[in-house]
Amino acid sequence: MARLLKPFEYFEPGTVAEARKLLSAYGDEAKVFAGGTDLLISMKKRQMTPKYIICIKNIPDLDYIQYSQEAGLLKIGALATHSAIAASPIIRNKFELLATASHKVGTPQVRNMGTIGGNICEAGPSQDTTPALLALDAKLKVIGLNSERIVPISQFFIAPFQTALGKTELLTEIQIPALPPKSAGCYKWFTKTVTVDETLVGVAVTMSLNSIDGICSDIKIGLCSVAPTPIRARRAEEVLQGKKIDSGLIEEAAQAAADETRPRSRPDYRRSMTRVLVAEAINEAWQKIEQAHLREAA
Amino acid sequence: MSEELSVVGKRIIQPDAAAKATGAAMYASDMKMPGMLIGKVLRSPYPHARIKKINKSKAEKLLGVETIITPEDVAQWQGFDRGLKDLPMVAGGYLVPPEEHVLNERARHFGDAIAAVAAINEHVAEEALELIEVEYEQLPFVIDPEEAMKPGAPQISESAPGNIGKRMSYPFTEGDVEKAFGEADCVVEGKFSTTKQAHCTGETAAAVASLDSSGKLKVWSQCQLPHLGRREIAHIFNMPVGMVELINPFVGGSFGQKLSICAEPICIALTLKTGRPVKLVHCREEDFTSLETRAAFRYDVKMGFKQGGALAAMQIYMIGYAGGYLARAPMASAIAMVYGLGHYRCPNRAGEADIVITNTAMGGAFRGFGNPAIMWGIEQLVDEAAEKLGIDPLEIRLKNIKKAGEIANMGLTLESSYLEECIKGGAKAIGWTEKRGKKKEGKLRRGVGMATMTHSSGAAPLYLEHSNAFIKFNEDGSANLVVHPGSPGTHIWGTLSQIAAEELGIRAEDIHIVTGDTDVTMFETGSHASRSTYTIGNAVLRAAREAKGQLLERATKILGVSFDELEIKDRQVYVKAKPEKAVSVAEVVRGSIYNFEGECLNISGKCSWESKFNSPPTGAFFAEVEVNVKTGRVKVVKFVTAIDCGKAINPMTVEGQLEGSMQQGIGYSLTEDYVINKDSGVVESDNYDNYKMPGILDMPEAEVIIIDKPDPKGPFGAKGVGEPGMVGVAPAIANAIYDAIGVRIEDLPITPERILKALEEGNQ
Amino acid sequence: MKQIANFIVNGKPYEMAIEPHMLLVEVLRDELGLTGTKCSCGIGHCGACTVLIDGIPALSCLTLASTARGKNITTIEGLAEGITLHPIQKAFIDYGAIQCGYCTPGMILSAKALLDRNPSPTREQVKQALSGNLCRCTGYVKIVDAVMAAAETMKKGGK
Repeated sequence: MARLLKPFEYFEPGTVAEARKLLSAYGDEAKVFAGGTDLLISMKKRQMTPKYIICIKNIPDLDYIQYSQEAGLLKIGALATHSAIAASPIIRNKFELLATASHKVGTPQVRNMGTIGGNICEAGPSQDTTPALLALDAKLKVIGLNSERIVPISQFFIAPFQTALGKTELLTEIQIPALPPKSAGCYKWFTKTVTVDETLVGVAVTMSLNSIDGICSDIKIGLCSVAPTPIRARRAEEVLQGKKIDSGLIEEAAQAAADETRPRSRPDYRRSMTRVLVAEAINEAWQKIEQAHLREAA
Repeated sequence: MSEELSVVGKRIIQPDAAAKATGAAMYASDMKMPGMLIGKVLRSPYPHARIKKINKSKAEKLLGVETIITPEDVAQWQGFDRGLKDLPMVAGGYLVPPEEHVLNERARHFGDAIAAVAAINEHVAEEALELIEVEYEQLPFVIDPEEAMKPGAPQISESAPGNIGKRMSYPFTEGDVEKAFGEADCVVEGKFSTTKQAHCTGETAAAVASLDSSGKLKVWSQCQLPHLGRREIAHIFNMPVGMVELINPFVGGSFGQKLSICAEPICIALTLKTGRPVKLVHCREEDFTSLETRAAFRYDVKMGFKQGGALAAMQIYMIGYAGGYLARAPMASAIAMVYGLGHYRCPNRAGEADIVITNTAMGGAFRGFGNPAIMWGIEQLVDEAAEKLGIDPLEIRLKNIKKAGEIANMGLTLESSYLEECIKGGAKAIGWTEKRGKKKEGKLRRGVGMATMTHSSGAAPLYLEHSNAFIKFNEDGSANLVVHPGSPGTHIWGTLSQIAAEELGIRAEDIHIVTGDTDVTMFETGSHASRSTYTIGNAVLRAAREAKGQLLERATKILGVSFDELEIKDRQVYVKAKPEKAVSVAEVVRGSIYNFEGECLNISGKCSWESKFNSPPTGAFFAEVEVNVKTGRVKVVKFVTAIDCGKAINPMTVEGQLEGSMQQGIGYSLTEDYVINKDSGVVESDNYDNYKMPGILDMPEAEVIIIDKPDPKGPFGAKGVGEPGMVGVAPAIANAIYDAIGVRIEDLPITPERILKALEEGNQ
Repeated sequence: MKQIANFIVNGKPYEMAIEPHMLLVEVLRDELGLTGTKCSCGIGHCGACTVLIDGIPALSCLTLASTARGKNITTIEGLAEGITLHPIQKAFIDYGAIQCGYCTPGMILSAKALLDRNPSPTREQVKQALSGNLCRCTGYVKIVDAVMAAAETMKKGGK
């Protein structure tokens, strides 16, 4: 029950290089501050009282959204806000589910302040961008004082609010490969209670069909809020991988996804809703591919 | 009242709206004064605990801390009870002696106040709280009222053996319910439960207190019943009432939570200890865990009908959850029984209630008091009976609703009722005939449902109804209206201005409201029980009439005609038969103030008004819902509230009250669940991240129908409208869900899991 | 440790000593006396603390004051020009969209940000833009009416 913060020492590095140095020096007792929405709430609730805050919010040129057609790669700077991602024409066009998921985050004000990097590093079980990034097979560029590594997002989440990010490391970029032709994706969710609310079950799907025979050449299903971390529903993916899609198979995949969940609260309802939403999401992605195909043919 | 009205009935803007739109409006939580300290409260982390030891030495040493107070520091002051014990007209107020103290040695609920600090700023105050060391002896606790009633349950109040704080019977018992049930053609019964809904006022509880050099205590308070709040403060702190001045700044919402003082006692204690002004503002978690919520109930209702649908018998048994202190839970239960059993015409009626003490924060008043809770069950049973008897739910209501002239819920004559018009108008607006009872299939199923209710305009004859108004004219022809309804933002100042202006023949903007200070205003019961338009309005009307009389009397001399030949309109006093013979109101006033004929007078009028009648407002509520049978999720597609609140003094205000009530009613029905962990007694619903009220995207298409027919006793025919809009929302939604998917939900809130479970059970 | 910081609030420059752990809402309300910005929940869920930072709605209760240095901050006090109200303020008054008034400053600023970027919103777009501002009094109906009316007025170049 507190409205104000306890004192801390504050650094505002002006460059990534400065940030790296500070993290290396204080990382153990420091928290990185970007949008700050999640961090400040935790601090107000006295769930954490960091000694040092390293604010990277005003580091220039870390909020880019760049797509390279030739490389087939989207690069998002870690400080890109949810608002910017939700409104980005290239993301809405080519990676629509990420725009949808970013638009779902919080409220308009939170979306203006919160960053995708912050969201990923917070690693809350119910955060919306992470299932979309899982379904998009994103890779994360993580840097230390003298190091740089690429971490696949599927290896990033260890436990609730715990990631593979070292205490002296910084997430700087999210890399997302373009989806092959005849692909589509979507993000669907139910909230806990009201419309603007924490996600109860979030489902992200990307699907690609083999252009010759309509076989599902790839499917990725990302789930949030149904397990301690966001997860890929791999067994559900296996049901459809390499097969010709039909409604029976979709139901089977949806059930498999529900069985893969490990929800802590409202478990029965979450499991049922996972089944409902995974089926809806796969169907929606499938419909989108078919409709795009019909448009092309016309 | 047959002439055309110039001001009443118009959508006039509120006098305080500009201050709020610009950020200039000052609320208690905004106030700053020289030497002011910030107060903060240390609260019990346990649901039931005795303080063994408090060590405040570390906290006292912190730079910037002025004082720390603990229960022993407040022992010289009186305990208090929030039951509004000064108001009941009938005997049998509150037998439980005041048990709540400014700081409590024994915490009776999670969040109960234990100690407090006053410091130079909020940072120091928060830090000081963390340095106060308290050794608690945890005591056995009980959260659930039915558990609390069992033998062997932990005893919480010395005055409530078996944790029964009060046992009540319906005061208007009539007939023989047993016999009537035996003779009834159709008997329906059900068990229902409702929740502790949290008010979620925009501004959290806040107060500022200061002492002047004469020892007079000034308190800036959110209290809706300001003169009663002043009396309470004087009583607690052993001061004469005349040495306490209660001032209402702007208040960020109340809805019944601020009927009594909230942040004031501890704030005042800190001021008295330090001699300095103190501001104490709750954080949101404190509001959720320590303040009064809506009283929750579990209850049984039984209703017996004749074949044609006439209601023959009604019986209720309620368990009301009081909380650790009895407070206003008895009132909530009394009102539930009185309004529930008194809504329909029914010759055989009986009711009993047990008000149970538990280790939770108080349950009491929230818009509608006990009426929304009881109509939740009653209106569902009426639908059930209608189905069994093969009668349309509209018809069964039309058959049983009271007509003007019958005895109303509070035992007085029903002065007016246009409930039939409400039912018919609302049914048309929702599309009842087209949509009700249709075959439903598919994943998304729609249904429509309705509910009706009667509330009250003020609380006569059960509670004291005393209001005062004073009007004085200024030389420019404007008038100052001195009233004290409180300032929670209900548009009452505008409403009272319109009433005064209409009577005085001037514009609404010519009325300057003088309010908010108990030193200036005469006694006012305050704003509660939907009384302010009706009762304060009647005081204002009569004060205006007296001022008008004085004005006309003076004008007779100026215009050389007799009293009855004159009228006032558009700020002119004119001869009715010859309107061009006129004198401005301003001139008459000026000539009386600056009177060189030896007859000086500041034209004014006053009225001490006691309401001897009650004109209950009535209303009908219609919901269209869409239920997803796979997910159990309910969407309210459209909601229609048709209200009979007499003449709408300001239709915009009436709509605002009903639309706001819709938001609260939808929250009560579907989204708001106040959760207390039964194992630890900790309140888990402590902020908006885990307690959800409807946001802008959760609201349905909303329609308000104002019947707008005048009541004979209300000022310009107005009746109360502050609370009625809340009462029928939940049962209308429940009845619509039944129409959509054929299942009944008896427990609030209606959750997707409850829907799916009911569907599953229905299919077996 | 207090540090000197420069702020631009409603177009005016201010210099003051602040500590890193101070929130923007504290600076506005307690240091500058601009109490129009309210704190209602403290955890960014209600929107009552909404201010515009470089024209974009942000939650001042979840903003470290230090991070707002040098940015253009608009509070409710910055909307009217002298005694001439902004069309959105006027519409809120005219349409009865204000009851207790506590959510009003945040609502108006969220609405302003919307209309500055989208002068012809649909009702649905208005609701989306205000979806981070909670109101317990009005049921939101007249708030949407007011914003739609203000949009019309502003398009006509009205004041």
